[in-house]
Amino acid sequence: MNLARYVISLFVILSLNFAIPRAMPGDTMTNLLGEDVILSDDLVQEIRREMGLDLPLREQYIIYWKEILRMNLGYSYHFHSPVLPLVLERMKWTLLLAAPPVIIGALLGTLLGALAGWRDSPSTRLQTFIFLTIYSTPPYFLALLSLYIFGFHLGWVPMKGFYSTGSAGNIIHHIMLPVILMSLFSASRNYMIMRGSVIQERRSLYALYARAKGLYDSQILFRHLFRNAILPIITLIALDFGFIFSGALFIEMVFSMHGMGNLIYSALMYRDYPVLQGSFLIITIMVITANMIADALYGLLDPRVRGR
Amino acid sequence: MSCGISAKRSLPSNPGALIFLAFLLIALLSPYLAPHDPWKRYEPYLGPSRDHPLGTNDMGNDILSELMFGSRVSLGVGLGAAIIATLMGTIIGASAGYFRGWMDEVLMGITDIFLMIPQIPLVIVVAAFLKPSAIMITLIMGLLWWTSLARIVRSRVLQVREMAFVEAAKVIGFPDRHIILTDVLPNTIHVIMPKFMLTVASAMIAEASLSFLGLGDPNAKSWGMMINFAFSRGGFLNGCWWWYMPPGICITLSVLSLVSMSMLLEESREDEHVAS
Repeated sequence: MNLARYVISLFVILSLNFAIPRAMPGDTMTNLLGEDVILSDDLVQEIRREMGLDLPLREQYIIYWKEILRMNLGYSYHFHSPVLPLVLERMKWTLLLAAPPVIIGALLGTLLGALAGWRDSPSTRLQTFIFLTIYSTPPYFLALLSLYIFGFHLGWVPMKGFYSTGSAGNIIHHIMLPVILMSLFSASRNYMIMRGSVIQERRSLYALYARAKGLYDSQILFRHLFRNAILPIITLIALDFGFIFSGALFIEMVFSMHGMGNLIYSALMYRDYPVLQGSFLIITIMVITANMIADALYGLLDPRVRGR
Repeated sequence: MSCGISAKRSLPSNPGALIFLAFLLIALLSPYLAPHDPWKRYEPYLGPSRDHPLGTNDMGNDILSELMFGSRVSLGVGLGAAIIATLMGTIIGASAGYFRGWMDEVLMGITDIFLMIPQIPLVIVVAAFLKPSAIMITLIMGLLWWTSLARIVRSRVLQVREMAFVEAAKVIGFPDRHIILTDVLPNTIHVIMPKFMLTVASAMIAEASLSFLGLGDPNAKSWGMMINFAFSRGGFLNGCWWWYMPPGICITLSVLSLVSMSMLLEESREDEHVAS
């Protein structure tokens, strides 16, 4: 059942990808090739025929699917490269940036959030305020500020991104600040949800029973409440993966890092539509995959779902 | 309905509500409040002074005035997108929850698919094809961001429809539309409101992010657009803090006020829940 949902999602998204350049204003060929391309009239006719744009839409749709199945996402005239390898090469670096924060943010956010939901004190209130502020700031603005302070003024971190040629130490030096920022963002979201979740669970009967049984506070929190409160978080981390990923794009742009963010930025500058669409497609597929993994994990952790 | 009472009691004293109200007033009254015309050019790169409380930018525009007029764009896009999204989410969620059956299956199936598409990248792709304008951005976001609200509304409506007064209304023979509007939705509004505020907040952040990518409306200087200009025209490297800090602080403050109001509503609802 669930698998069917993912397959349908994928189908709809790929069809959307077919429809967007054809439904948008402007010439379809320009929408498919990008506005950076200047061609002679003869060549325009030839490419139009080659791409099958003179065929009826139904046939174009079939050709589109054939190309997708052959893993062909089009050609970028701006980067002089097929789109798929271009995107995948950049994707590695973005994943390197986005993956650690997902984990750090989940650990930090759920732990601190659980404690804050459990006990209300001046220090947890301050903590909530700090996380709330991070949550409320556009990621790129915080990135700009910290780049300005730690890079420009203090010189602790380099001003420009990292490249595939660097040594491991060099890469870590470059990726440090972006990873910290992303972890804070990811943590702030998990914190808010975990806090709310624990506040809710705290009032349930089994928590009262655990207290009546004479368990210590920390035992109630971590043995009983935590287990139930963590469940919504797992689905959320998966859904949030798209958000974290988008955040990573902006942080890459600010730090001029070699990844998807800068690829999309330059694709936007030159209106290189194939790269834009290819990037969107690959990101979406990654998010769907993350959701599938979360579904499977959820089943492992929640016996109520496992039984079904 | 006692649902809203505790929230109503605490909302006026909430600093978040006050801050948001202040921003709304500034947006409405900006033509009267702003000291200068935001498009008029004075001496560029001026620091804060008596005449220009927040200095001027590279074009010599007065930044305080830009900030005040910018609130119209930023809040307008946020509120507009959230209103569209909330209407769509409410209609879809309420129909799915109330009618159940095949309608529920189809509507929630569509919702689940849209829920999984990463919003920001999709908005970027669509916005890249279209001519950037504030209205267009509002529409794109509004038409894409109804998914999570639809789910929330649906699960609440599923509860409400089983309640005695809804069944009573059905027995009396009121049409479905009437029941949804007068019985079901008033009991759903307290789950819609907090989510509405969060949607305004995220739409404002998204607008600022799109502006940063150059996909914003160049003729409407929003707060995001101001940061974008400060970044791309050297405001950061020249250390003109009065140029890039105020719009950033304004975005954070207004989003913060919305999120805290939303939290307050949520929590007062939960207190209510426990009390009953």
